[in-house]
Amino acid sequence: MNHDQVEILLVEDNPSDIKLALHAFRANNLANQVHVVRDGAEALEFLFCTDRYASRSMADGPKVILLDLKLPFVDGIEVLRRIKADPRTQAIPVVMMTSSKEDRDIVESYQLGVNSYIIKPVDFDRFTEAVQQLGYYWLLLNQLPALATSCAG
Amino acid sequence: MATTTSPDELQHEIDSLHDRLAKLQHELAECRRSEAKFRLAAESLPAAMVVVNETGQIVLVNAETERVFGYSRAELLDHNLELLVPVSSRDKHAGLREAFFARPTARAMGAGRHLFARRKDGSEFPVEIGLTPIDAEEGLLVLSAIVDITERTAAEAEIARLNANLEQRVLDRTAQLEAANRELEAFSYSVSHDLRAPLRAIDGFSRILLNDYGTAMPIEAVSYLEEVRANSQRMGHLVDDLLAFSRLGRQQVKKERVAMAGLVRHCLEELRDQQAGRCVEVLVGELSPCSGDPALLKQVWLNLLSNALKFTAHRKLAIVEIASHLVAGPGAEKSGVPKQKECDENLVERSGGELRYSVKDNGVGFDMRYAQKLFGVFQRLHRAEDYEGTGVGLAVVQRIVYRHGGRVWAEAEPGVGAAFYFTLPREGGDGESRPG
Repeated sequence: MNHDQVEILLVEDNPSDIKLALHAFRANNLANQVHVVRDGAEALEFLFCTDRYASRSMADGPKVILLDLKLPFVDGIEVLRRIKADPRTQAIPVVMMTSSKEDRDIVESYQLGVNSYIIKPVDFDRFTEAVQQLGYYWLLLNQLPALATSCAG
Repeated sequence: MATTTSPDELQHEIDSLHDRLAKLQHELAECRRSEAKFRLAAESLPAAMVVVNETGQIVLVNAETERVFGYSRAELLDHNLELLVPVSSRDKHAGLREAFFARPTARAMGAGRHLFARRKDGSEFPVEIGLTPIDAEEGLLVLSAIVDITERTAAEAEIARLNANLEQRVLDRTAQLEAANRELEAFSYSVSHDLRAPLRAIDGFSRILLNDYGTAMPIEAVSYLEEVRANSQRMGHLVDDLLAFSRLGRQQVKKERVAMAGLVRHCLEELRDQQAGRCVEVLVGELSPCSGDPALLKQVWLNLLSNALKFTAHRKLAIVEIASHLVAGPGAEKSGVPKQKECDENLVERSGGELRYSVKDNGVGFDMRYAQKLFGVFQRLHRAEDYEGTGVGLAVVQRIVYRHGGRVWAEAEPGVGAAFYFTLPREGGDGESRPG
């Protein structure tokens, strides 16, 4: 995939959820601009253009990040913390997507400045609908400040 | 010339001397009786009694002194009091004794300190001592009453040990409970995450199959896939309800004054969908406010009212009655059965009283033989295809009511209707949860 065109960064470790999400994106014609990373560490490398993604430019940051809460290596809350703590990434909208209905996750996510929080429904139709709304809102309606920063390396 | 005394006068003198002698003899007898009484009292005292003079010499001891210290009376009398004091404290004791004689007042000796005495065999034991100065002909004496408190001290030490033990057990048990709670929380958390993910996959891929390949599949295959979806969604609801139920056990009950009338109105508003296209008559009586957690009590009303609407679905005219009564508490009547009548004010006042809320419907009802199953988790008294639900609603109601210190029960008749009752303790006077 050409990283320059990434509009949606999907951070998800469950292969079934990835397939379902991509199917939902395809149904909404958003699939071409999705990049999938499988754990929190890879997400941070992608976002901060390091290691495996050293060749990427910070200027091509994704327009929205869909972030699963439970992730290998670095969990979703920590990824969110790092995104919101760095001036280069803090403006990128982050949508937490999780199975969890636990209040403490929701509270902690909002304290860290998450832009939206959705609980993945068991019902696939509702899941498709949620993905559609996400794409519509964050990619089409939401006006972001222009990203002026780029990777130092 | 010498004065002579007449015989008469002499006789008179003699009589007078006799009288005085008799009187003295009488007084002496009195004195002896009195002393005997004193000795009897002193001897039968349950405390060792030791009287010392200003030089510290023992002038009097009682039987208990001999018993407690192991000395005979002869071994003590005229000896120095310090004989009965532990060797290490003798010098100090002599100084304190002299100071006491300088300013004698009746008091407990060494109040607040641990005092020890010494037996003839050299063993030491804890004592409690009371000091009383006595003004006697031979000078100032001091009476010490000495009580051996070995047993009491041992008992106190045992109580202290048991208390410490108990505290340790409370700490241990609390730690165990906290650990169990953490474990439960971790369990619920992973259930919440991990159980839902595969359900989502089952439902999602079934849906994709139906959407993308449904036309290529035989009708039967399509209907089986629909079954797969319906069941995965049902399991999703079960997981959610079970988690909500387990969370209830850990959640704090935050009590405040709750206007039940408003709460019920909100609930009925939320349940509007269940009444759509039906004839439902909801009769709301006067509902007393109570003290409770509004969010939790709302859940109680939602579940009871939703049940009432659900189980009246087949009625042409569904009737739901909601009411509250002030009734005597469970302690007011010997019978103790939850079924109670409204009773006179006095009885209510005596028992503290409680508020009883009720939801009655004219729905399908149920067989009272199964009433005890009603409030169990996943217990259902109707077939799943007739009335949907996970069987957690009434378990939630019961848990919330119990956590408020109330009771819940139901009465019903198949085909006639059901009535659900719950009580909440009436909290008054203590200022808690009162309107401001």
